[in-house]
Amino acid sequence: MSVITLPVPTRVAGDAADRGFRWLATGAALLVLVALAAAAGSMLWGGRAAFGKFGFGFLVSRTWDPVAHEFGALIPIYGTLVTALIAILIAVPVSFGIAMFLTEVAPKWMRGAIGAAVELLAAIPSIIYGMWGLFVLVPALAEHVYPWVDAHMGSWPLVGVLFSGPPLGLGMLTAGLVLAIMIIPFIASVMREVFLTVPGRLKESAYALGSTRWEVVWDVVLPYTRSAVVGGIFLGLGRALGETMAVTFVLGNSHDLTASLLMPGNSIAATIANEFTEADSPMYRSSLIALGFVLFLVTFVVLAAARLMLRRLSRQEGNR
Amino acid sequence: MTDLAQAFTMNETSPVAAEVDVRRALRPMPKLKLSTHGLEFHYGRARALHDVQLDVAEKRVTALIGPSGCGKSTLLRVFNRIYALYPGQVARGEVLLDGMDILTPDYPLALLRSKVGMVFQKPVPFPMTIFENVAYGIRHHERLSKADMAVRVESALRQSALWDEVKDKLRESALGLSGGQQQRLCIARAVALRPEVLLLDEPTSALDPISTSRIEQLIDELKRDFTIVIVTHNMQQAARVSDYTAFMYLGDLVEQDTTETIFSNPSRRQTEDYITGRFG
Amino acid sequence: MNAWHIGVRGAKNAVAQALATLATAFGLFWLGWILWTTLHNGLASINFALFTQMTPPPGETGGLLNAFVGSALMSGLGVLIGAPIGVLAGTYLAEYGRGAWFGEVIRFVNDILLSAPSIVLGLFVYTLVVARVGHFSALAGSLSLALIVLPVVVRTTDEMLRLVPTQMREAALSLGVPQWKVTTQVLYRASLPGIVTGILLALARISGETAPLLFTALNNQYWTTDLSAPMANVPVVIFQYAMSPYDNWHSLAWAGAFFLTLFVLLVGLAARAIVSRHRMTHD
Repeated sequence: MSVITLPVPTRVAGDAADRGFRWLATGAALLVLVALAAAAGSMLWGGRAAFGKFGFGFLVSRTWDPVAHEFGALIPIYGTLVTALIAILIAVPVSFGIAMFLTEVAPKWMRGAIGAAVELLAAIPSIIYGMWGLFVLVPALAEHVYPWVDAHMGSWPLVGVLFSGPPLGLGMLTAGLVLAIMIIPFIASVMREVFLTVPGRLKESAYALGSTRWEVVWDVVLPYTRSAVVGGIFLGLGRALGETMAVTFVLGNSHDLTASLLMPGNSIAATIANEFTEADSPMYRSSLIALGFVLFLVTFVVLAAARLMLRRLSRQEGNR
Repeated sequence: MTDLAQAFTMNETSPVAAEVDVRRALRPMPKLKLSTHGLEFHYGRARALHDVQLDVAEKRVTALIGPSGCGKSTLLRVFNRIYALYPGQVARGEVLLDGMDILTPDYPLALLRSKVGMVFQKPVPFPMTIFENVAYGIRHHERLSKADMAVRVESALRQSALWDEVKDKLRESALGLSGGQQQRLCIARAVALRPEVLLLDEPTSALDPISTSRIEQLIDELKRDFTIVIVTHNMQQAARVSDYTAFMYLGDLVEQDTTETIFSNPSRRQTEDYITGRFG
Repeated sequence: MNAWHIGVRGAKNAVAQALATLATAFGLFWLGWILWTTLHNGLASINFALFTQMTPPPGETGGLLNAFVGSALMSGLGVLIGAPIGVLAGTYLAEYGRGAWFGEVIRFVNDILLSAPSIVLGLFVYTLVVARVGHFSALAGSLSLALIVLPVVVRTTDEMLRLVPTQMREAALSLGVPQWKVTTQVLYRASLPGIVTGILLALARISGETAPLLFTALNNQYWTTDLSAPMANVPVVIFQYAMSPYDNWHSLAWAGAFFLTLFVLLVGLAARAIVSRHRMTHD
């Protein structure tokens, strides 16, 4: 059982090229990691003056005084959260309805076209939403809808204060509505994709037992896809929190804190977009960058949570 | 023929004695192209092959049969070290090709793969023209002039009985061919490198019966030039095309012998049970 | 199961289906309104001057030529920088990083980057480049766009490469071809339509991005192709002009909005066409 050893070199030219290519690919992958870390780091660095001066009070202070160099993030944070919340409240049921329509209700021939139309909504750049919002939606709401809201809902006990105010058209409710329209296609397409992963057998056996379409969706599809649906909602939320242009046009850029949704307000992204180029002092700029860091942190948490929940479903499916 | 049968039969005596028998009986036999000694294979911590001693005769067809999970594909894939692509898959022992151990890191992969070609279960033509599919592998090993390359491609396509059907559409995409044609293209791709050994991993299981029988005819012609090892879950196919058959079960090589003997007069109970369909 | 019970279930079902249909109509209503508005106002503002004259000062007539060219330049550069890195990183994830923890970390980070607010990326490039150099520049603008292209291309490349059957990889390797050649000569070719689609989608996305450019390239009233200077671009022009009180600026903003939307939709259609054509030749 003699083995003849082969007198060949242990390295071949192709080997070096293989290693070189692998290094190139690894380097590119590392760049992705570096990009995110550097983005976070640079904003923390840029905002250090503001964080240093105001400390945690930055997050709860209502002041926004460029002259006295006193800045606080409360109003932008409040506006960001409120508009995003309104957007989610409107978008989630609508998206769910659309997803259900596209997977169970619509006749097969319609599904492709309607699905494509919904994707079209997602493709429209946000600045277009902003322009349409400012020039078309705002005047329409100011003339036809808000006076009615103020007159009728403004006098309700407790929540009435949310709906009372002059019908400017600009404001948090409008911004929330525009955001809702923007994120509906995202949430709807995630939900639709997720609904389609439910095994046909599962649904067929439910139908065979006499379930109605609604019952199949509510009792079979939704429980099966629950965590991914929530993940999709969080994804939409992340988008709504960070959206700039659609909101900047219609929010009103006001630094006053009001309870009414009909009044103008501010969001983190809108503040930065509107004021950055005119920021005339290092503290001003630093405060704006600090705001950006806060936004980054919030969206990071939301997006990480979304991903976790979406992955849970795909693991359930036995992927990867 | 009886000597050969005896030589390949593993009897119940001690491993050492069996090896000695095999060695003595082998001398007037057809030359051994491939042989494994003490071959073990691990997928991570799971052991898939236990102490396998397989002998493959030159320019003959050897079939590996056995139920799902017996390790026949795993064994086949050791012969061209294709498992090296996956971290965590490890082979230990000795695999001799013409007397040289191909498992040592010193044996270059490119050289091994130019000597040992492989055809897979699912036909996978590259997204290129038919001509390019066949020429692709050659180009990496040899520098041929355009005319020489054309000759090589034609001869490979003739060897795989595809030439007449594609000679007018060499510049068309390979994806337009039927399943059976695609598989013959994959065979042409492999034989174009002029390997010494051809490994066929269930080559017809994804094909219709007519394509299957064409490829079985092809195998009969190919063995004039190549040593062939074929894995098949179809016993009848093994009986039709192979000269020698090895039966495997749960990672062990249970019995290897001439196909005639295995199918009509196997020595081991397990083999007989499998052949007669007592378990699948 | 009595008849009344079945009746209630049937009613619930009917209501649910009606609501679902209503929701879809609701969504489509807004789509229609937005597209109609853009079309209507945009078409009203179209004239040849758009493509022959530069952005004007308030009150004067002009065009959007410098903005169109600036956007084309910066988007092109953004894709040129971001796409190759994205393809390589996606290759790493699909070919070398499968299952390894490092690959999972990169995928996670990439997903975050993909959905991160673009204003954040604009601020990043501002602090990295603009603040150091002291002035806005088209190069900084391209860089911020590249940061948006990168995660999109990484993801599509990763997914497309993973769709290529393992056996094709093994078939090429079993011919003795080295790994890197298999990746570049066989795998890329097999997944090319998908990768190109990803790049097109990234292009469509960055064409409409305003926020990152606000802090990097800003705007320029005049014609320039100097990458180290601020450069005009369609989204920022639209932003400035729309928020202004001047009518002629408003109409230019609508014209810009119209062409921007048209471009984005056409690129999206091209991307879809590639995907469906590829699917047909494969089945």
